Amino acid sequence: MVFGPDRAIRPVWFDWHNRKHAVLETTYTWSDLKGSARRLHFAVRDAGGLYELTYDTAEQTWELTGLEGN
Amino acid sequence: MADRIVMHIDMNAFFASVEQQADPELRGKPIAVIGRGRTVVTTASYEARAFGVKTGMNTWQAKQACPQVIFVIGDNRKYTYTSGEIMKMMLDYTPLVEVFSIDEAWLDVTHSLSIFGSAENIAYLLKSRIRHRFGITCSIGIAPNKLLSKLASEMKKPDGLIVIPPTEVCRILEKLPVKELCGIGRKMEQQLLMMGIRTCGELGRYPVERLSRKFGIVGERLQQMGRGIDNSPVVPVADEQEVKSVGHSMTLERDIERRQEILKYLLQLSEMVGRRARRYNVAGKTVHLTIRFADFSTIGRQCTVKNHANRSDEIFNAAVSILDTLELDQPVRLLGVRITNLCYQRQQLPLFEDELRKVLATSAMDEVNDRYGSFAVTYGSVLDNGEKGSFVISPAWRPDGIRNVDVL
Repeated sequence: MVFGPDRAIRPVWFDWHNRKHAVLETTYTWSDLKGSARRLHFAVRDAGGLYELTYDTAEQTWELTGLEGN
Repeated sequence: MADRIVMHIDMNAFFASVEQQADPELRGKPIAVIGRGRTVVTTASYEARAFGVKTGMNTWQAKQACPQVIFVIGDNRKYTYTSGEIMKMMLDYTPLVEVFSIDEAWLDVTHSLSIFGSAENIAYLLKSRIRHRFGITCSIGIAPNKLLSKLASEMKKPDGLIVIPPTEVCRILEKLPVKELCGIGRKMEQQLLMMGIRTCGELGRYPVERLSRKFGIVGERLQQMGRGIDNSPVVPVADEQEVKSVGHSMTLERDIERRQEILKYLLQLSEMVGRRARRYNVAGKTVHLTIRFADFSTIGRQCTVKNHANRSDEIFNAAVSILDTLELDQPVRLLGVRITNLCYQRQQLPLFEDELRKVLATSAMDEVNDRYGSFAVTYGSVLDNGEKGSFVISPAWRPDGIRNVDVL
């Protein structure tokens, strides 16, 4: 991930099934709370499909939480 | 009431537009948003609407109307977040923002003009910020009151901006069918038609005594609506009246019949209601149970408990006692639990050891769940209920406060 303007977090690439997926576009972002932890959700597109990545700001962990059209 | 400038903002095909932004493959295509495990269309994109796909249709009806329609399972967290952010943007222009539903709000911008120039300018600024941040459009109506601004926003969709100046009100209303006014539903329209009232102009001229005889205290209000008069203020969330009930309902992923299964969902709902009530320090004297059957018929029953309750087990016991008075002759589609007769600021530790333990255990559970998320700690019997929480955004949903509900 990288920090963009306004310190906004932006995913750049992720690893899934031992393959590096470059994020071509972040199509939507939203956030919610799980307990007291804020989670940032990113709908991202690579060359093959659409994914949802979630960043847990308390645990500082990334998770692939959804995929579509692969 | 002095001249006001009120703005009504209506997000266009909100859920469908958000989904089309999140997935570029869906843009420009007919899509219909449906609930998880369910078959009713919640919102259709404008492309689908052009084929006749409407909210409330079954998936097969939607497919008949538009064979190429794409069904998308809704993600309520996306919608509540987006709505909350848009409502925050509105607050940049006036503190007088009244959230009507997840995708509609009124703004009273009367006193904002010295900063922003004109209401139209505020509308353009909002539209462009919403489009820039989320890629979605809204329709905005500007008028002297809430009734007319809502009417104006309905006049052009999508992406409309319609102004009804005070001088134009009579002309616009004269031939407008009464059903176009917010608050006049199909039943009311039928009754008015039977009285020979078809247009707002006719409604405004109709003798108020005859309207009052037919509709009671609403009669005078109806006549005013026909004249485009609405003195109701724009009420921000903070100034809203105290809530009168705390409740949750849940359309189940499949219809259920077994008592044991119903009890599991009732316990889960009681925990959701209890937790929200405890968070806002309210307790209810009356517990309501709602059951909708497979054929969509719905029954509701209530009971009064000895002391004001907000502990999940107390609410659950009351709901079960209601259930035991009912004969269920069909599978259950939806369950709802609600507490009313609320008292605020209830804080009393019980004297007896057993009760005290329950209160302390509940409080400990709440602390864990506040930190790690709803249902991180819960009753063993609801563990296998699948995903827990609210799947439906209530019309009473608000971005914050007691009406805010965490949805899945």
